[in-house]
Amino acid sequence: MKYVKKVLGEDLRQYTMVVALAALIIIFNIASGGKMITSSNFQNLISGNAYVLVLALGMLMVIVIGQIDLSVGSVAGFASMVMAITARQFNLPWYIAILIALVIGMIAGAWQGFFLSRLGIPGFITTLGGMMIFRGGVIWISNSISVPVPSELKWFGAGYLPEWGPAFTGMNNSTLLLGIIAIAVYVTAQIKKFNHSGDVTGKKEEFWPYAVRIGIVSAVIGYATWLFGSGRVGTSFPIPGLILVILIILYYLITERTSFGRHVYAVGGNKAAAELSGVNVKRTYFLTMLNMSLLAAVAGILFVGRSTAAGPADGTSWEMDAIASVFIGGASVSGGVGTVIATMVGGLVMAVLNNGLMLMGVGADKTQVIKGFVLLAAVAFDVYNKKHRG
Amino acid sequence: MMKAKKVLSLLMTAVLAAGVLTGCGGGRGTEDAAQTADTPEAAEETAEAGSAEDAEPEEAAEEASAGGGIVGVALPWLGTQNWAEAEVMFKEQLEAAGYEAIIQAADQKVPQQQQQIESMIENGAQVIVVGPVDGSQLGSVLEKAKDAGVYVIGYDRLLENTTGVDGVVQFGSVKTGELQAQALLQGLEELKGEAPYNIELFGGGPADPNAPNFFTGAMSVLQPLIDDGTLVVVSGQTDFTQCATVDWDNSKAQSRMDAILSGNYSDIEIDGVLSPNDGIARAIITSCENAGQPIPVVSGLDAENESVEWVWSGRQYSTVAKPTNALVAETVSIIDSLLSGNGMPATDVTADNGVIDVPVYELPPVVVTKDNAKEVFADDPDRMALLTD
Repeated sequence: MKYVKKVLGEDLRQYTMVVALAALIIIFNIASGGKMITSSNFQNLISGNAYVLVLALGMLMVIVIGQIDLSVGSVAGFASMVMAITARQFNLPWYIAILIALVIGMIAGAWQGFFLSRLGIPGFITTLGGMMIFRGGVIWISNSISVPVPSELKWFGAGYLPEWGPAFTGMNNSTLLLGIIAIAVYVTAQIKKFNHSGDVTGKKEEFWPYAVRIGIVSAVIGYATWLFGSGRVGTSFPIPGLILVILIILYYLITERTSFGRHVYAVGGNKAAAELSGVNVKRTYFLTMLNMSLLAAVAGILFVGRSTAAGPADGTSWEMDAIASVFIGGASVSGGVGTVIATMVGGLVMAVLNNGLMLMGVGADKTQVIKGFVLLAAVAFDVYNKKHRG
Repeated sequence: MMKAKKVLSLLMTAVLAAGVLTGCGGGRGTEDAAQTADTPEAAEETAEAGSAEDAEPEEAAEEASAGGGIVGVALPWLGTQNWAEAEVMFKEQLEAAGYEAIIQAADQKVPQQQQQIESMIENGAQVIVVGPVDGSQLGSVLEKAKDAGVYVIGYDRLLENTTGVDGVVQFGSVKTGELQAQALLQGLEELKGEAPYNIELFGGGPADPNAPNFFTGAMSVLQPLIDDGTLVVVSGQTDFTQCATVDWDNSKAQSRMDAILSGNYSDIEIDGVLSPNDGIARAIITSCENAGQPIPVVSGLDAENESVEWVWSGRQYSTVAKPTNALVAETVSIIDSLLSGNGMPATDVTADNGVIDVPVYELPPVVVTKDNAKEVFADDPDRMALLTD
C-alpha cells in the first residue's frame, strides 16, 4: 500500500472515478463482444461527446463559484444558428462564421454576467431567463427549419488529422506525433518535478515512484495513441478531440496556475472572505459567466460541424449533461471544490455509459434511468467519503 | 475498515493496469478478429434459414449476407402512433425475413440519434434505416456509414445535406396531392349535383418541403377544370403562397376560411374545399358550420382518429391514409435486394437533397372515404374501433 501511495500521491480517493471509468470500459468491452475498445468506437466516443465536455469545462468554473448555468444549451444553439443563417445569407467564409458564433457567445455571456454580477440576480434565475430567451430566439430566427453550415466546419466537428510520412508505422502519423509529444511533455514535467523535489525540504525524494508513474502514464498515452491512430486509413485522433485537449490544457492552467483561477476557487469557497482579502468578486462572477457562454458557442460550433447543419432544437438539455459531468467529477454543490481533470473524467464516465449501453442495444429510456442512478451514486459516494474522512 | 478500502483501491488499480495491458493486443487486430468472428455466425444463420445454399463454398461468405444480416433502424422517437407502429413492424418484418434487427429510438434528440447510428455501424450493421429527427443534421455520421460500406436508407423523410444516403422510402407527396384533388372531385360529383362547383384551396405550412408538393399535385388535377369553368375558385386565391397555412396551424386556416366566407359567400354556397391535412380540414368544416353554410366536400390527410370518425359520420368527405405497414414492407424489400447483392432497386424518381440526387421509392397513399374505410383499416384494430354506428 505504501508503494502505491508513493506512486499515486497521498489522496487515493481522487482515483475512484478513473478506476470506475476503466472498469466501465472493460466491462462494456466484454459485454459487447469486443466492440467497445476499437479505433472507430473511440473516435466516435470523442467526436460524439466533445461538445458536452467543452461545456463541462465552463460549467465546472460556474459551479465552483457557487452558481449554475441553465442557459448553455440554448446559447450554443443560438450562437450556431446565428452563425449558420448569416453565413448562408451573406455567403461568408467559414472563419468569419466561427468568429460570429464566438462573438454571439461572448455577448450572451456578458448579458448574463451583467445580471449576475452587477444586479446580483442569482445565476439560476438569470440563466433560466437566458435559457428561455435564447431557445425562443433560435426558433424565432430559424422558423423551426434547420440551416446548413459552411462545409469547412465539418472538419471541426468530425474531421481527422492529415496522413503523412512513412507507412511502416502502421498508423496515422499525426496521431503518432501527438502521442510522442504528450509523452515527452509528461516525462519532462516529471523529471523537472523530481529535480526540484528537494528544493524546499532539502531532502530529495526517491526516483522510483517517478519512474513508475512515467511508465504507467506513457503506456496509457502510448496505447491511446495506437488505438486512435490505427483505425481505417484517413482516420486519426479526431479534430474535435484535439480542440478539446487544447482547451483542457488551457483551462487546467487557468484554474491551477493563474490568479483568476485562484479567485474562482476563493469566491466559491467563501465569498465574504475572498472579498475581504481583496478579490474582485463581481469581476470573477462576470468573467466566469462570459467564459461559460463563450465555451457554449465553441460547443455549438463543434456540434453543427458534426451535424452539417444548425437545427432549431440544438442544445436542448445539454446543460444537464454538462452539470452531471461536473458533479460526477466530484465538484461540490456548495461551490469551491472541483477540478478540470476530474470533470473530464466525470464527463467521460457519462459518455462511456451512453456509448456502451447503445452498443449493447439498450434503449434511450433505460439509458436515461441508468445515467440518473450513476449520477446519484457518484455524488452519494463523494458525500459519504467526505463525512467519514480520516 | 480503512484497510479494506485501501485493499479495494489497490485491487481496482490493478484491474486498470491489467486492462491497459491486455488491451494492448487490441487496435487493428481486435477489429479484424471481430469481423472474422462475424462471418461464421452469419453463415450459420444462413444455413438455418435453409435457403438453397448449395453454391460454391467461396461464395458462401458473400451469400451469407443474403439470409442473415444485421440491419439497424434508427427512429426519431416513439411518441406518435405511426412511429410506435413502425418500431413494432420493423422488428416483426426484419426478424421474419431472417435479419438481426437493432432498433433504437432517439427521443427526438439529434445527438442521441447520431450516436445511435454510430453504434449501429460499430455493431456491424450492413444496412441502416434512418427515420431522422432532423433530416439535415446527420451529415457527417451518414458519411461515416458510407465509408464503412454500410447502406443508408431514409425512411419517411428525406436525408438532406449529405452524400451518405442510398435511397429514401416515402409516400409520394405529389401523388398525395393528386389523390386529395381526385377525392375532392369525386365527392363534388357525388354530393353537390351538377357543375360548376364553388371551391376554395388550402395549402400546408410553407416551411415543410412536402407542403408545396401536395399543392402542386392537387393543382395538376384541378387547374384544367378551373380553366374550363367546371370549378370556380370564388375568392380567386389559387397561388400556393396565398393558400398556404403557416406552420400547419389549424387556427390560422380557420381564420382564413372565416374571412373568405364572409367576403365571398354571403349569397352563394360553397361546395368543396381542398385541404392539405385533417387538422386543417376540420378547421375548415367548423368555419363553414359557424357561417351557416352547408358542409362542403373537404379532403384531408393522415387519417387522424378524429377525422376517421368525421369521415365515418359524413362530416369530412375524405382523408388520405399512409399505412405504416406498407412503408415498412417496402423498406424491407429494398433491404432484401441490397443484402442479396442486387443493389438498390431501380427507380426513376430522385430528389435533390442539397448535395446529391437521392433515389426515391414512393408509395401511393390510400384515399379513405366512408365507402372504403372498413376495407382500408381492416388490419388496423385501433381505427376499426372508431368505425362504429
